[in-house]
Formats: sequence, structure tokens, C-alpha cells
Amino acid sequence: MSSDIRKWFMKQHDKGNGGSKQTTVSQKSSPNVPEKVKEDEGNFQRRKTSKYFAVASDAEKKSTPLVKDEIAVEMASSKRKIQKGDDNIHNEVKQSPAKRFRKVDVAADDDDFAPSCEKKKLTDTETFKKLKSKATGLMKNSVGGVKSDEGENNDKDVETPVKGGGRGRGASGSASAIGGRGGRGGRGGFMNFGERKDPPHKGEKEVPEGAPDCLAGLTFVISGTLDSLEREEAEDLIKRHGGRVTGSVSKKTTYLLADEDIGGKKSAKAKELGTTFLTEDGLFDMIRKSKPAKPSGQNDARSKTPVKKDKLLEKDRLVKQGLKGTEPSLGIKKSAAEDVQSSISHQKRKVKAGDSLTWTEKYRPKVPNDIIGNQSLVKQLHDWLANWHTEFLHAGKKSTGKKQSDSAAKKAVLISGTPGIGKSTSAKLVSQMLGFNVIEVNASDSRGKADAKIVKGVGGSTSNSIKELIDNETLSINKNRSKHQKMVLIMDEVDGMSAGDRGGVADLISSIKVAKIPIICICNDRYSQKLKSLVNYCMLLNFRKPTKQQMAKRLMQVAQAECLQVNEIALEELAERVNGDMRMALNQLQYMSLSLSVIKYDDVRERLLSSAKDEDISPFTAVDKLFDFKGGKLRMDERIDLSMSDPDLVPLIVQENYINYRPSLAGKDENGLKRMNLIARAAESIGDGDIFNVQIRRYRQWQLSQAGSFASTIIPAALIHGNREILEPGERNFNRFGGWLGKNSTMGKNLRLLEDVHIHILASQTSNLDRPNLRIDYLYLLLKQLTDPLRVMVKDAAVQTVVEFMNTYSLSQEDFETILELSKFKGHPNPMDGIQPAVKAALTKAYKQGSSTRIVRTADLINLPGIKKAPKKRIAAILEPVENSMAEENGDALLENEEGSDSEEADVIDQIGETRPQLDLHTDNRKGIHVQLDLKIEDGKSNSKNTSASKARSSGSSGKVGRGGSAAGKRKR
Amino acid sequence: MLWVDKYRPRVLDKITVHEEIAQNLKKLVSEQDCPHLLFYGPPGSGKKTMVMALLKEMFGASAEKVKLEQKAWKIAAGTRNIELELAMLASTHHVELNPSDAGFQDRYIVQEIIKEMAKNRPIDSKGKKGFKVLVLNEVDKLSKEAQHSLRRTMEKYSSSCRLILCCNSSSRVTEAVRSRCLNVRLNAPSAEQIIEVLELIAKKESLQLPPGFAARLAAQSNRSLRRAILAFETCRVQQYPFTVNQAIPPLDWEQYVSEICSDIMKEQSPKRLFQVRGKIYELLVNCIPPEIILKKLLSELLKKLDSELKHEVCHWAAYYEHRMRLGQKAIFHIEAFVAKFMSIYKAFLIATFG
Repeated sequence: MSSDIRKWFMKQHDKGNGGSKQTTVSQKSSPNVPEKVKEDEGNFQRRKTSKYFAVASDAEKKSTPLVKDEIAVEMASSKRKIQKGDDNIHNEVKQSPAKRFRKVDVAADDDDFAPSCEKKKLTDTETFKKLKSKATGLMKNSVGGVKSDEGENNDKDVETPVKGGGRGRGASGSASAIGGRGGRGGRGGFMNFGERKDPPHKGEKEVPEGAPDCLAGLTFVISGTLDSLEREEAEDLIKRHGGRVTGSVSKKTTYLLADEDIGGKKSAKAKELGTTFLTEDGLFDMIRKSKPAKPSGQNDARSKTPVKKDKLLEKDRLVKQGLKGTEPSLGIKKSAAEDVQSSISHQKRKVKAGDSLTWTEKYRPKVPNDIIGNQSLVKQLHDWLANWHTEFLHAGKKSTGKKQSDSAAKKAVLISGTPGIGKSTSAKLVSQMLGFNVIEVNASDSRGKADAKIVKGVGGSTSNSIKELIDNETLSINKNRSKHQKMVLIMDEVDGMSAGDRGGVADLISSIKVAKIPIICICNDRYSQKLKSLVNYCMLLNFRKPTKQQMAKRLMQVAQAECLQVNEIALEELAERVNGDMRMALNQLQYMSLSLSVIKYDDVRERLLSSAKDEDISPFTAVDKLFDFKGGKLRMDERIDLSMSDPDLVPLIVQENYINYRPSLAGKDENGLKRMNLIARAAESIGDGDIFNVQIRRYRQWQLSQAGSFASTIIPAALIHGNREILEPGERNFNRFGGWLGKNSTMGKNLRLLEDVHIHILASQTSNLDRPNLRIDYLYLLLKQLTDPLRVMVKDAAVQTVVEFMNTYSLSQEDFETILELSKFKGHPNPMDGIQPAVKAALTKAYKQGSSTRIVRTADLINLPGIKKAPKKRIAAILEPVENSMAEENGDALLENEEGSDSEEADVIDQIGETRPQLDLHTDNRKGIHVQLDLKIEDGKSNSKNTSASKARSSGSSGKVGRGGSAAGKRKR
Repeated sequence: MLWVDKYRPRVLDKITVHEEIAQNLKKLVSEQDCPHLLFYGPPGSGKKTMVMALLKEMFGASAEKVKLEQKAWKIAAGTRNIELELAMLASTHHVELNPSDAGFQDRYIVQEIIKEMAKNRPIDSKGKKGFKVLVLNEVDKLSKEAQHSLRRTMEKYSSSCRLILCCNSSSRVTEAVRSRCLNVRLNAPSAEQIIEVLELIAKKESLQLPPGFAARLAAQSNRSLRRAILAFETCRVQQYPFTVNQAIPPLDWEQYVSEICSDIMKEQSPKRLFQVRGKIYELLVNCIPPEIILKKLLSELLKKLDSELKHEVCHWAAYYEHRMRLGQKAIFHIEAFVAKFMSIYKAFLIATFG
């Protein structure tokens, strides 16, 4: 109820002010200006007016009656407020007469607040002064061009850094202290994960409402637990009233807001710097007091910091005197000012009339310097474009080779960056500035591959005309270079080249190669698969998002040009909400301007809560938010959004980390039973999620995806959310990446290795077992058989036993490793422990030695026919030892070598032919390879037959196969 | 060579454990016609041995001449091509393969590969048998779709091809498939039978086997003959001569599971759950099938559990095993079981001891 009245009250003021102004303006300048414009005008001017007016001394006189008037109005609202008002009066009575500047302030504020009737009663001098000051303001305006109130204030900041707060609603700000521009880098209190408790009296106190800007210029730091507000709520409250909240204490901090827990880092720093401490109640009082009579709140604030106040006073005076000095001279130019004013109002009207233009177009930067952020990139682009012709057309002809070696010089540019940060704009601006004729092709044009058939004709399609454009350039340059208008081709949205634009990127690349004009490509996602090839031909310029301060500054300029009253906090909020997208910010601002003329922090907040732009949330952030101790307060659609931000990864991270949270649902839980229960429920739900996932993926039931994310993410988060704690010493208190992926791939790898072992064992035909049994039952004994002898027996005997055993099961060295690997358990002794390195070495050696005679059945190397018939030569190559076998054999004649391989090839084929006439050899490793497909019983025989046969044919290469294999250090398969 | 393989009976006549069944099979085969067969029984009961012996009976020694092929298949399934690689053991008369290796694409194997092979008559029949045999292992792991595709194949090509199916549990083979086969159940061998076999091996290896030790081996083997023989040999490697009270080393992974179990019993906290997760991952990474982990975990837990809770815990184990089969990421479900157990057990402890 009180707030309603408040609003009504405010309205009164605004109207009143507007009204009074209207009269004056219409008298003095242009009576035929439509009312609305004048009213805007009035609003626009009023702030400046009040500021200069404040300097005038006679303001003092009327301060008291004005306050009384206000009280009179307040009377209607509630008794409590009257009480407050009285208090204020008392305060003033006590403090006032000496403190001139405070009066000044009061005057300034009253100027805002005084009802219209009051205004009219004011003396003529006031009106006169007002006009005069208006004139100064206008003069400044006209001189500074676009420079506005904001700009002036900034100037002042430079002059008197202590007074940094003087922005937004000028007068009130100028009076009170220090609000550092740079000091607000970190927004919001840093989340202190494990520690912070709930406020003891949460929700018990009534949160006060005050004048919207009563905290303007003040900088707060919140520390510890507050009495009744969550930290975020407190932050919100302060921002709503125009204050700043920063993360850490610095010189610019006005207050440290803390109720208890004095002794932390922040409070220590604050003590060191002499920052004032403020309790939550103190803050509430401040805000409450601001309501009936704003200055009192600030008064309180000031009285708490007497030292600073004095300093301020000094500076204020200095500044004001300075201004005063300039005033008379400006006053002379009153008539001139009037002219200016009328012309401006005329302009304003024009603006109103031509409002069909969206702000994004209207306030598109006109010169490169207007572009927010990325100035160095713009400069780079500028340089590139400026030097393009000299570099590629003229110098290029002379020394082609040199040009290509210079990697920095690319014929095209690829600008990338998120939407709405001015990529196209900068490209166009830079081109225009350099006098290029811009041809823009974007996604709305068909950009398919140029039709190759049409060599000369225009053909109608854009791509053909592009081609033509690029070619034609050659001609025109040759003819009259001086007259010729330079061209630049801007290919916008190149990553949007898709279905319809078949071969678009390839065509673009070929165009770049032959182009005689510079080409600027623009895309959003530089890492897009489509652009992979294009990237190589372009100079890459990656535009970054502008900071919110940069954006807020620009938005403020726009707002002022459009006569919007916005404070900077609100604009920063807006800038943050749109996530760096300037275009979006402007659109939002324009949209809001339709219904509001004064935009406050809360408006931005509410408006954008619903229409917030979708931003990319990393899965980690999503999980953080969901599992945060206040995750229970998220709305359901927010939770769905978060869990859907990456429906594959988020559940994995949830699964990995849910145990780490101390659920706030459990409440008081001495023995941890409740927590265990919640974990069990969450675990079950995660399991549900897995089952859903199977349905979704295997049976393509995508309609279940929402249910899946509910089960896998939202329900566990709802159960478990709370503060995170660490379970292992030394762990960092952040969410781990889901371990499942890694473990699963290791498992897959091990399964493949096991399968190799399995196949080898099967191929040995000593056993016919399946894979699970191999692991479950056999492996342990295999391991024992392989390692125990090495441990207990004499070296040579042990090695022999093991190698024999391996041969029986046709296990290879790798299989040995696999068996070892699969038997390792964390916390158990390594099976290879206790084996001398010498023994290991001996084993390896023995195994390799044996490999010349061993027949490892290489079923896994043979592919069946019907896939690919390996060419004859390949077989020969495989059979030939890759690395030279022995020195003396190397000396053998090539001829012999060939002959040998041929004969061996024949051998092998014969051999294979015995069993499977159509069998092919196919292998991808070029080792010395000796294939034996026969049954085991015949192994020994056929092998010896083979070698002897080849020996008979060519003595040189006979041993090559065997020895070659061992020399290559690879076992034979 | 390991004893398990060395003393494996190669012909039906030598099979001692399921002698009766072996003789019946022999009769069945000698009558020239053989139906489709489904062998089922717990691991270590001799299914594979039986099948190999049966094949030898059917085709003579040539059935033993097998070779291993790693075959790559390209299957056109609708719009996409699937490439599968499958290892199969083949002789001239039979092909043995493990269709469930292909994971969830197993139905393509059944639909395409098995059909393809079943279609072709053996070229060289030499008047002996007019059909060839397909041995499919782990049929119970085939998906429902694959099993459905299987039944048509079984009927259509029965003239040229016989299927021999092997699985652990017939309950996971669909009714339709079961009814088309002659079902042969192979029980787990009794302790006496195991002891008998062990003594036989000891005799052949000329080892002194104390009877008490043999009984203990049999008891610990959980009625799996294979495991008993393997354990026997492990003991031989570790210590000989045998003593009655000689420790029988548990399998490495079984030992690990019982460690996990005692971890769980000692403390029920999120921290412990986290550690247990790490250990279960370790088991999974070492290729221990999740079902077996869960089963072993349950049996270990039951050993130490108060009888009041046994029923409930069994219920939950079954519940989570079912879900594990429905799902894909086994660890989630095992972990859920452990969490559930912890919460039940903790509540129980608090209720009992305060």
C-alpha cells in the first residue's frame, strides 16, 4: 500500500515539474511545440537545471517549507511515515544551518519532488535562474555536440575523483561520496561455498522501500551472514536503490555491510582502510529514511564519515565556484541559447516523427571509433584493407613467391564473434571510410556454387555475379585505375552456407584465390566444421564481447538522445542480461521506452527475466546452479533449461558429484541417516535416467528426453542440493568431470585387449572358452602360471617354463602385458612385484629368440574373402622383412631377393591353399610375418618344410623371414 | 597346458559328470537326425565340453580341425551400412560364434549373417550328414529383437542347418526359441562329482591329494567344475605337497569384491560410497561383468548380514540388477544398490544399537 502511494506521489512530482516547465518554455521559446515534446524536454533539462540552480544561495530559504509541504502530502499515506518525517525535521533542525551544502542538496532534491502547486509559488528569481542554468546546459550541449549530461558529469569526475558518484540523478549523487567507476568490477558477493549459513531471522523483517536513488553513489561490500536477508537479496535491495555492490573492500568502498562475523578478511581490510561498518538494520533505516525526505538518509551517511564529508565539501565548493564563475558569461548568451533550444526542440520533434527507424539502425556507429570494443581488431581490419591493393595487386605481380610465403598477408579476412557485437557494422564502416564500394552478400542471397557452364552470362544467380565481379575487376583496373571506384565484397554469415548453397564454401575459396578485390567474410562460429577449409585462406579476426561498462556507456548515450531516464546500474544490468549483444540491448531498450520514460533497475530485471536471451551454459555451471544450496528455489523451467543445456554431459557430472553435496533437505541430521537416504533416492533416480537414456537412444524414443533429464538431473538435484564438501583430502571443492566417460573407454580398450587374448587362446585350440569365463576364471591362474615361476625358479628354467606356457596358449608378449594389466587392482600389489628386472629382460629376450621358430596362429590377421583381395605385391611386401635381416644378407643381389620373396609368397599361398583355397592375406602391420594356418598337429612339420623348401630355392633369403622378424624386434604372427 | 584343458573329455563316451545325458545325445545323433539343441546350465557345468564332444560324434575327427576367422561383415540396414567384425570358429562342418559380441546390433548378425550361413548347404557332405551346425554361444545375452529374428531362421532353414544354442539361463531365452529346440539342462556338478574329477586328475598327474582338501576345493568352487580344477592347479602352483588345511587362494577379483563388501559394512557414509565407487570402477575396468560383480557383492554381504535384513537386501539386489539390464551404464545401478544398502543398513544399525 505504501508503495502505491509512493508511486502516485512520484507521478505528482513529475507532472508538476513538467507543468511548470511547460509554462516557462512555452513563454520563452516555441509555443507551438507539441506538449509531449515539451514535457520530455522539461524532464531532460530539469536535472541540469536543478544542479546549477542548487548553487544559488536563495535556495536555502525555501528548504524548510518545502520539506513541510512534503510532509503534508505524506500525511495522507501513513502515520509511520509522518513519524519519520518528523524525525527528519528534527535532524535537520539539529544539523542544518551551518551545513550549507546539505541545504543545497535538499533544494536540489526538492526541486524534483515538490508538487506543482508549490513550484508555481516559487519566486520569479527561481524561474529566472532556472532558465539561465538551462541555457548553460544547452550551451554546453550545443558545444559538445552529442555530449550530454552524462558526459558533463564524467568530466566532473575527472576533475574531482573523490566525487565519483555524481552520475545518474545528478544532484543527489553529487552530494554524497565515493562511487568508484572501476571499483565495481566484480559483481555480486563472491560465493563462499562451504561456509555461509542461512540468515538467522530469515524473512522476519520487513524489507523497506525507499526512494529509488537513495543509495546512489554509495558502494557496499557485503560480508558474512546478514540478519534476515540472503546475500543475494541484500545485493538486489542495494542495487534497486541505486547503490553498487562490489566483491572486495577497497578505498572506494563506502560501507561494509555486516551483522556479525567481524574478523574476516573483508572486515580486517575495512578496518585498515577505515571503511564504515553498517548493519542490516542500518541499511534498512537508510532506505526507509530516504522515502519521506531523501536527504536525511544521506545525511546520516555523511555524519558517519565526517572526514570524507569535509573533503567532499571542499571539492564541491571548488567546483561550484568554478561553475558560478562561468555562469554570468553564459547568461549573456541567453538569447543565443534560446535559439539553440528551439532548434533542438525542433530536432527532437523530427526524431519523434522519424521513429519508425529502429534504434539499432539509428544508433549504428557512424565512424569506426564509435564501435564498442575490439578497437585493435578494427584497426587491424583497417590496415589490412588499406594496404590490400598495394599488397596483392601491384606487389603481387612482381614477386608471387614472396607473397605466398608471407603468411600474415591473406587475401581475405574472416571476422568471427557472437551475434550483435558489431562485426558487420565494423566491416562496413571500415570499408566506407576507406572509400570502398561495398557489396554485401548475406544468407538471404543464394550462394551456391557458381554455374560453371555460364562463363560469360550473368545468369541471374548471385554467385555468378560474384564471379563476374571478381573477374571484371581485372579489366577495369587495367583501364583506368585512377577513376575507378574500389570495391570490397562482404560475405556475411558464411557459416550459414548450407543446404541451398551447395559447394558454397569451396566456391568462396576459389574466389578468394583469384579475387582482385578484397573479400571480408563474417561468421559467428569460427570453429564450425563448414569453415574448416576457409580458415586457411583468411586472416582471422575474432571479435570479443564488449564489457558491460562499455555497453552501458553507449546505451546511456542512446538513452539520453532518446530522452530516457535510466540510471547506469540499470543499463549495466541490461548489458549483462543480453550477454554482450549490443543489438539485443538496443532492441530491448527501445521496447522498454515505449511504455516507460524512466527505467529503473527493477524494470530491467523484470523485463528481461522473461525475455532473457538464451546463452550457452557450460554443463559445469548448470550443475553448479542446480546443486547450489539455493537450487531449490529455481523455477522448474529454469531447471529444465539447465539440465537440457547439455543433456549428455550434465547427467554425467551430476552422477559424478552428487555424493559430494550435503543436502539442505536433510536439515538437522546427526547421524547422517537422512543424507544417506537422500543419496540412495538420488542414485535410484540417476539409474532411472540411464534407463530412459537407453530407451531414447536405442529405440529412438526422443519424446522421453525431458523425462530422462528429469530423472537423471533434476530429481537428484532437488534431493541433494546443498553445500558441496570434499570427500578426499586434497580435492578441490569444484565439481569433477564425469568419470564415466574415461572409465568406459578404458573398459572398452581392456575388453578389446582381452578379446585379443581370447582369440589367441582359441586359436591355440587348447581351450574353447568364452570371454567372460576367461576373465573370471582363467585369468588368475594364467597370471600365476606366467609370473610365479619367474619369482621362485632359477632364471633360465623360469624363463623357459613361462615361454613354453605362453607357446601352448599361443600368448604373445602383448597378451602377457594384457593379463598383467587386467589383474592390477588399486591397493593390491602389482603382480610383477618381486620379479627381478634381469629376469624380465631375460624373458623378453627368450621370447623373441623363440619367435623365430614359434608359430603364433594369426587368425586375427586374416580377413575372409569378399572384402578385398590383397594384391600379390602386397603379400610379397609383407613377407619381406622390412628391416634388413643381417649384414651379409643385405649384400645379396637384388635379384635373389626378389626371387626369394616370390618363392616364399608361393609357399604361403600353397600353404593356405591346403586348407582354404580362396583365403587371402590381409594385414596392416609391416612386420616380418610368418603365417601358419594349418592345424596344430601339422605345425611343426609344415613349418620346417617351408623353411627348408625356401632354403633349397634361394639360400640367401631363406633365413630372412625368420631372422628378419627377430631383427625387426617384432614377433612374428 | 592347463589341467582344465588337458583333461577335458573329448568324446561323449568319456564324459563322466553328465554321463546319462551324454549317452542320450549319442543315441540321438546316431539316428541320423538331430533337432535344434539348447544347452543351458550354470557356468562350469560342462556345456561347451558337451557340445564339442557331440560335434565330434556327429562329424568325426574333422570337427576338431577348427580355425579361427575374424570376419568383417558389411550389412545394409535401411539407410546406413553397418560394419561388424566377428570372430568365429569354423570347421568344415560347423561354425561357432558369439552373436552377442555385437552388442545392440546383434539382431543384424542374426538376421543377416546367420541367415546367410544357414542358407548355404555344405558343399562337401560326403553322404554323411546333410546339414551343418551353427553353434551360438551366450544366447541369453541376445536382445529380444535378435531372438525374434532367430526363430524364423530356425524354421526356414532347418533342412540344411542345425542350431546348437548355449546359455546360462533358459529364462532369458524367449519361449518361442525354446520350444523349437530340444532343451538340455546341464546341472552344476555335485561336490562328489567334482571330487571324483579332481582325484582323477591327481592320479594322472601323480599327485597326492588329501581327501579333505579335495572336499574343500569342491566346496569353494561353488559347484563349478572348471573353477574347482583351476583352483586345484593354482594351489599346485602355490604349494606342493598339499596339506588338508592349505589355504585356497581366492580369485583376485573375488577378493577385491569382498574387500568392498567389508568397506560397506564398516562404514556407511557418502565418503565411503565414493570410495566404493572407485573400487567398482576398478573392477569394471578390469573387465569383470557387472552382473557378476553385483551377484558376488550380494553374496558377500549376505554372509555378514543380520538375517532380518537378508530378505530386503536380496529384494533390492534383484531390483537393481533388473534395472542394470534395462540400462546401459552399469556403474550407476551398482552404485545405487550400494547406496540403498548403506541407507538400509545404517537405519538398521541405528534402530538396533541407537
